[in-house]
Amino acid sequence: MTARIRADKLSKWYGNVLGLSDVTLDIEPGVTGLLGPNGAGKSTFMKLLTGQLRPSIGVVLIDGRPVWNNTALFSRFGFCPEQDAFYEDMTGWDFLYRLLLLYGGTREEAAVKARRALEFVELSGDSDRLIRGYSRGMRQRLKFAQSVAHDPDILVLDEPLNGLDPLSKRKIIKLIKDFKSQGKTVIVSSHVLPEIEALTRSIILIHQGKILAQGDIHYIRDLIDGHPHVVAVKCDRPRDLAARLVGEEAVVDIRFGGAGEVVLETRNRDRLYGLLPGLAVEAGLDIEEITSPDDNLQAVFDYLIGK
Amino acid sequence: MPISERGYQHWPGTLAERRRPWAPITRLGIRLAFKRKFFKFALGVSLLPALVFTAGVYISEKIEDFKFMARGRAQFLSVDPAYFKAYFTGDFLLFMIVMVLVLAGAGLIADDLKHNSLQLYFARPLRKRDYLLGKMGVVSFFLLLQTLVPGLLFFLLKLVFSGSFKFFSRYPGIPLAVVADSLVLTVFFGLYTLVLSSLGRNRRFVSILLFLVYIFSDIFFGVFYGIFRLPAFCLLSIKANLQQVGAALFGVPGPYETPWIYSAFVLAALSGAAVFVLLRKVKGVEVIR
Amino acid sequence: MLSAACSVFSFFWFAARRARRNRAVVLVCALPVLAAGVFLLRRILVGDPGVIGPRVFSGMIMTFYLQFIVLMLALFYGTSIISEEVENKTLTYLTTRPLAKPAILLGKYAAYTVRSIILVSAGVVAAFLLLDFEQLGDGAVWLVLGRSLAVLVLAVIAYTAFFAFLGTFLKKSVLFGLFFCFGWENIVQYFPGTTQRLTLIHYLKSILRPEIPAEGGLQSFLFFRLEPSPAGTAVLTLILFTAAALALAAALFARKEYLFEE
Repeated sequence: MTARIRADKLSKWYGNVLGLSDVTLDIEPGVTGLLGPNGAGKSTFMKLLTGQLRPSIGVVLIDGRPVWNNTALFSRFGFCPEQDAFYEDMTGWDFLYRLLLLYGGTREEAAVKARRALEFVELSGDSDRLIRGYSRGMRQRLKFAQSVAHDPDILVLDEPLNGLDPLSKRKIIKLIKDFKSQGKTVIVSSHVLPEIEALTRSIILIHQGKILAQGDIHYIRDLIDGHPHVVAVKCDRPRDLAARLVGEEAVVDIRFGGAGEVVLETRNRDRLYGLLPGLAVEAGLDIEEITSPDDNLQAVFDYLIGK
Repeated sequence: MPISERGYQHWPGTLAERRRPWAPITRLGIRLAFKRKFFKFALGVSLLPALVFTAGVYISEKIEDFKFMARGRAQFLSVDPAYFKAYFTGDFLLFMIVMVLVLAGAGLIADDLKHNSLQLYFARPLRKRDYLLGKMGVVSFFLLLQTLVPGLLFFLLKLVFSGSFKFFSRYPGIPLAVVADSLVLTVFFGLYTLVLSSLGRNRRFVSILLFLVYIFSDIFFGVFYGIFRLPAFCLLSIKANLQQVGAALFGVPGPYETPWIYSAFVLAALSGAAVFVLLRKVKGVEVIR
Repeated sequence: MLSAACSVFSFFWFAARRARRNRAVVLVCALPVLAAGVFLLRRILVGDPGVIGPRVFSGMIMTFYLQFIVLMLALFYGTSIISEEVENKTLTYLTTRPLAKPAILLGKYAAYTVRSIILVSAGVVAAFLLLDFEQLGDGAVWLVLGRSLAVLVLAVIAYTAFFAFLGTFLKKSVLFGLFFCFGWENIVQYFPGTTQRLTLIHYLKSILRPEIPAEGGLQSFLFFRLEPSPAGTAVLTLILFTAAALALAAALFARKEYLFEE
């Protein structure tokens, strides 16, 4: 598959402060999650992607063309910024409609697109009100609407689900997945890790301006050899289970959690999962639950930044 | 009261009896003003007249050593109520007061409106008047620095340099006039700054407004006086009114042939209107239709 | 580029329609009309012609607008062109659209300039009608109005361009702008010889010609110490200055990066 977005040795300094350091990666069509704490460089990366900042070193290419000052490319992507900023004296309709006119289409086209976008984010009824009077959630939906109204190929979303109620979040998540199924490229950043996990398995982990990891979340997790996997088993006789596993080479550590829970650390998760059913039958154990508490983005991230 | 790691705990204590909730607002405002790049420069320049007048007080006592400067104009260095009035009603000082207010005061309320901070303020045990007093305190600090402090300093230095209390016994009303005129300038300019700051959310807009209203009122007066030749039009000018009242407080004839009491009334009316507007504009909840 | 600038013009023309500050701006532009109204009222009540209306228009009204209102409007709108977008963090909406950066600046400049011209012209025409209503049949008086409007339009265009450049170049553009207005322009214009040609107001006043002979007082104030340049040279200088200021502003804006304060 041809990479849509390519960053090549991308670095950005703000005076003496390093915003982004030597980032080289390809982002392919689909949904890619951008994950990192505050100040990690996510917003800097997104601003470089959308041509708002000029790279200090390196280049960002979209379909082989550099982004900085290349306004012809700007109609191909939509950007939903993180900051809650609007032209407060405009109505929602005015804001969307007039921004669409900036793409150079006819008034009729802009009106149709604006109406469609407002309907999707359920702001049609409030479109004649001044943005100043909108609630937090309405403002966030409007911001999302302006990024998708012109049907872009590439969507760059900086914390798009902030301030939204669960129903709206689900709707936006569904739209993002629809974008993916249309072969479009979506880059989403979020602090709320379950939201990223709900959107995609393809992630970029960024910390202190550097890319820590890129790829499938489970694949990344498996690569972290230094940290064994944690598997928690809830059963009626946890000590009995522990006794049967203590001699197993795949198990590196055993401890006891809450009521009826034994927490195992293993470097070979597949082998352990293979052993458990046999042990349960052999010992007559009643296993209620098997979970992997660290098989998620937070744990992966914590491991990688050394927490 | 530190916020505990696992959740915010309600403070079990009681509020102090003698509270000054406006004081932190004033302290913060003063600190922020000094952080502005050109503010210290502007404040320094605004104190230049004070420096010059202080030198004048010194020279007036050492007139023999500075005879070459007097050259028959002995009155020039006569420190009397007119001398104090010249400082307090000087065009340059009043202009620099406005410049300092532009830098230190333009954003006092405008920034809070822009960032919706009023809700945060009034979610605390803070009344509207505490908030306004706090903001007024910021402006008052700088205004008194330019008016009361130099005025009292001139008086004290005159006593020190003359080595006697003769000056005080000759002009016993001067200290009171200094305090009174400083208060007039402080209260008027303070309310002027706050009301204009409350009219916009854009600091740049308020800065221009502060300047515009002051200069415009004077131009208005100049133009009407040019047409009609009536000194009563001085009531249109903020500067002229302040000069009239200042002269009256120091017992010296004013620059215009209009009773000073009218100027005092105009200033009082403007201040009252400013208070009225401020009380309406500053509120914790804004209803947007 | 032109169509992009037109789109941006349209955007900001509508965006500024409901701005709260419009009320204050309209009030400021209407104050000289109020003064004209007071003058007219006095004439009606007192019956004393005093200074004749056209002289008040040419002297007072034009002084008001040319040396004060236009400067303040241009300072506010000109410095706002880019600063406002950065302060309100709305610049992103423009720079992520397929618009050349110079087009953004020029389009917004055009929108604000046209707005200022309309406000100023409305005030001037209203004041003219109030002060010169007895001479409306006299063509010469309309010529004065025409020339005055032309000068004010040029003033708005030139000053707004200059402050647009200042706003793009400096962070504390208002402070420098105030210094320029009340320091440089208001003082250096009275310097003798070529020095006064270093001010924009010199060229604007050179285009204005006193139609009514100055008898001291009003008229002489506006043209005090003026050593006028030829009108054609003045117009050309203003146009070139405007073009240079806008070109510099556009070039700067295209190169600069903007970071929003968190």
